Amino acid sequence: MKIFEGASLVTAVLLALLLVLLPVLGLQFLPGLGLPIYAVNVAGQVMCFALLAMSVDLMWGGAGVLSLGHGLFFAFGGYLCSMHLLRTAYAATHVLPDFLLFMGHGGFPAWWAFADTAPVTLLAVLLLPALLAFGFGFVSFRSRVNGVYFSIISQALTYTAMLLMFRNDTGFGGNNGMTGFHSIAGLSAGGVGAGVLLAETATASVLAALLAGRVLLASRFGRLLAAIRDDEPRLRFLGYETLWLKLAAWCASAAVAALAGALYVPQVGIINPSLLDPSLSLEIAVWVAIGGRGGLVGAILGAVLVNLAKFWLSAAAPDLWPFVLSLLVLLVVLVLPNGLLDLRNRSRAWLGELARTPPPRLRRRAAR
Amino acid sequence: MTQAITVEALTVTFGSFIAIQDLSFHAGYGHVRGLIGPNGAGKTTLLDVLTGKSRPQRGRVLLDGVTDLARLTEVERVLAGIGRKFQKPSVFEALTVWENLDLALRLHRRSLLREVLADAGAKRAAIDSVLATIGLAALSEKPAGVLSHGQKQWLEIGMVLVQEPKVLLLDEPVAGMSDEETAHTATLVQSLRAPGRAIVVVEHDMDFVEQVADEITVLHEGRTLFEGSMAAARDDSRVIEVYIGR
Repeated sequence: MKIFEGASLVTAVLLALLLVLLPVLGLQFLPGLGLPIYAVNVAGQVMCFALLAMSVDLMWGGAGVLSLGHGLFFAFGGYLCSMHLLRTAYAATHVLPDFLLFMGHGGFPAWWAFADTAPVTLLAVLLLPALLAFGFGFVSFRSRVNGVYFSIISQALTYTAMLLMFRNDTGFGGNNGMTGFHSIAGLSAGGVGAGVLLAETATASVLAALLAGRVLLASRFGRLLAAIRDDEPRLRFLGYETLWLKLAAWCASAAVAALAGALYVPQVGIINPSLLDPSLSLEIAVWVAIGGRGGLVGAILGAVLVNLAKFWLSAAAPDLWPFVLSLLVLLVVLVLPNGLLDLRNRSRAWLGELARTPPPRLRRRAAR
Repeated sequence: MTQAITVEALTVTFGSFIAIQDLSFHAGYGHVRGLIGPNGAGKTTLLDVLTGKSRPQRGRVLLDGVTDLARLTEVERVLAGIGRKFQKPSVFEALTVWENLDLALRLHRRSLLREVLADAGAKRAAIDSVLATIGLAALSEKPAGVLSHGQKQWLEIGMVLVQEPKVLLLDEPVAGMSDEETAHTATLVQSLRAPGRAIVVVEHDMDFVEQVADEITVLHEGRTLFEGSMAAARDDSRVIEVYIGR
């Protein structure tokens, strides 16, 4: 695999362009030419979904391991980030979040202090979900749980986490979740500055993940993942303990998903257990399937297109959205087995076939 | 002759089915041993036990007469020098012929990390030599998925070969091959003979086995029916009864 060819190069350039345009248009530098904060916010959220889709594609397209539970790592990152935001909000306003008051607490549990500073929180976002992934992955991969069984267990784990977080006693706001963020990196939460900063960070993360991910996939490590996808027992009988290779990719994938969640939550201003609903985790796989597996570009494409369509349609015609999404999935399964990235090769093949097939009248004459 | 593989009183059962019963078997260095027998005789099961895919109920399997293979994991057995070509051609179709061999050649058998970071150039000479042996040098940049059935078989033999195994297990290397491909494979297997290598060939094609093997073992219902030369096997009444047919 080349690191930059056709589609990946175009995607990288577009991302770089977005990186320049977001602050210019978002902060209204050009008179008369600007984006409303709503649009910047949508762009930022879509970039978080793109990052999330890439994390799933690294495992699915890269190693053939389909996770239907990446919402778990996404939400884990989101919860860690919102803990940090609530601590900074409390430091500024000295008002305890409602969910703590309802629980009858006089203050934050002492261990929340780790989330006081942004760098430590970021470190936690990158390490703790990866640690959870390590534990789950180690047990599953060592027992050689593969294919749909792995997918189902990953989903069950996410569902379990959702039930856990629904409980008020778990201590993270239960059903209502956590909200009431005050400021983000010193900028007032919900303001234009914070919105542009978050969207920029998310876009930069997507670009960096695309670069790093493509380098990784083009390396011998990426080829080993492809070998696992093609024929894992063969690779094992070449003397590779595939457990460690899969675990390394799985943990990296979880860390990226957690980063996406940590960037997503401040943009929507709230986190609650709905992020752990299996339907979100399933949707991620749908984005990747629609975009095309394997090169990370398709994941970005799928996440961006599906989510933009969702933002637009669920406002314009909310009842229609599930049908449109189902139709898209059916179309991809039937016509483009590897997603929209197939469109290029397929359309070339179709055009070629059209050119070779003589018009019906000629065909009839030839048959005579 | 030094024995590379020694199998003593081996019994393998799957539920109530006895796949191998009280079997003894040897494969010596410098030799090619043919393993034949009707379907269900236990040939592939024996290879599965040698590579760790199946676990025996009873009996011992030794490498070099001292290493008890039961103590080693599948991966450790490979690293100890047991290489296997599977019955179904098993190559990595998305990768090129070269990349397949690059993954198969281990420079750092004790460290996965060093292996992943190993310099590709250091593998060049060994891969080139194997490419020449298996006759796929001209196709080295092609994805393995586009190779013909025979070429995939050769590539897989090459992938095992590049590891320089002490014990080379070939499970039906010529199944589904044309006569020409079979002849080419026979030459290839002959050339793999080495003083420090034991080769075991499981195959249904009797003429092929006769061409490449020094001695053969005929299995039947999990037991050894016959051991000796192919010519003698063809005359043996029990072998004719269960396998060759009248």
